[in-house]
Amino acid sequence: MLISLDPQDTRPIYVQIVDEVRRALVLGTLGPDDPLPSVRDLAVKLRVNPNTVSQAYRDLERQGMVYVRRGQGTYATPGQTDGVERRTLADGVAQRALHDARRNGLGVNELIDAIRNHDNHRQTEESL
Amino acid sequence: MTSPLPTRLRDGDLAVETRGLTKRFGDQVALNDVSLQVPVGAVYLLVGPNGAGKSTTLKVLLDLMRADQGTAEVFGLSTRERAPEVRANVGYVPERPDWGYGWMRVGRLLEHHALYYPTWDASYAEKLVQKFELRLERKMGVLSKGQARRVHLTMALAHRPPVLLLDEPTDGLDPLMRDETFGVLADHLAESQTTVVLSTHHVEEVERLADHIGVLRSGELRAQMSRADLDAGLRRYRVEVPDKWPGVASLNGKVLRRVTAPREVQWTVWGPETEIVQKLSSAGGTVREVVPLSLLDATLALLNPND
Repeated sequence: MLISLDPQDTRPIYVQIVDEVRRALVLGTLGPDDPLPSVRDLAVKLRVNPNTVSQAYRDLERQGMVYVRRGQGTYATPGQTDGVERRTLADGVAQRALHDARRNGLGVNELIDAIRNHDNHRQTEESL
Repeated sequence: MTSPLPTRLRDGDLAVETRGLTKRFGDQVALNDVSLQVPVGAVYLLVGPNGAGKSTTLKVLLDLMRADQGTAEVFGLSTRERAPEVRANVGYVPERPDWGYGWMRVGRLLEHHALYYPTWDASYAEKLVQKFELRLERKMGVLSKGQARRVHLTMALAHRPPVLLLDEPTDGLDPLMRDETFGVLADHLAESQTTVVLSTHHVEEVERLADHIGVLRSGELRAQMSRADLDAGLRRYRVEVPDKWPGVASLNGKVLRRVTAPREVQWTVWGPETEIVQKLSSAGGTVREVVPLSLLDATLALLNPND
């Protein structure tokens, strides 16, 4: 699992870390019972305040995505209903897309149509 | 109803606290009634233009300079009456190292410095020497600004003090070394319970580290708050407005910036989001976007001189 942060993203950093872990769980790059990096290692890697990483890990634990083995570290919870996590991820993508659409004065239907058109176009190109 | 910028934190244990610090140089006011509150374990970013009083504040905390009025405490110890104890608990990187050790070699200086600090961690110091690529045989006087800064960072960190005062800690460092420095700081914070007060002109570099902010302008503490409060209370609103829009009377918040263009206005406001959106909408505007600000943009807005 790689965790990286987008400097353009203005959401709180702990939220971004939580979402990166959720993404890794859904994609499978973080498998059941796989260890997460230690708070210290991740803080150093991301140049983030260690308290922020701890906050993200607490949040992940509260949501049941990870569990803590005392004195050993943090691990991915096996048997996660990844349907739930997938929906949460999709919800986030939708939120960002809607935000961007609204900013550009576009309505929901216009956005959905544009996504469909774009995807059809891409599929046609790929099949050529 | 407006929301003034907060200048006092909510209750909690403070590592560093000043009350009503005032300092004049001749007829120039360097600090005017500054009451800083730095919670234990915070990474507190002190921002402001040159001459705003950042370095003066840090110097008062070490009793390197004395205020004309007001008090300063580090862990409850008066910096004026208990200066040696305070200094023993503080690691300091000065903005301009101007003391006379130019003839000393880096290695000798570190040994010399270690003698003053019973908590000096020699193996950690060695690690820092490697990370910062210090050349121990060189004389302090011939070092570049960036090289000297790295020596000072090593001296400040290696005794693992409970408080770090870092005045422009990455000034003069190349991009790689700046990045390395923040890695070292993150590692340090994970390892040792430390409170940091940091001033920098490169605010974007501490976006992910700072959890408190104090904004100094012309010697006055204009705002002071936790990052969580800043993130919750400051927004940029982008609004589409009709032709010849009369404007909005009051926004229920403190307007820090307002940029107008034909049929479009952008506000940066400190205040309650829901009420502000409501005001803008009922005045005939279409709110297109409400976004939180990066730490750098927030700083620029809070320092806005047009007010």
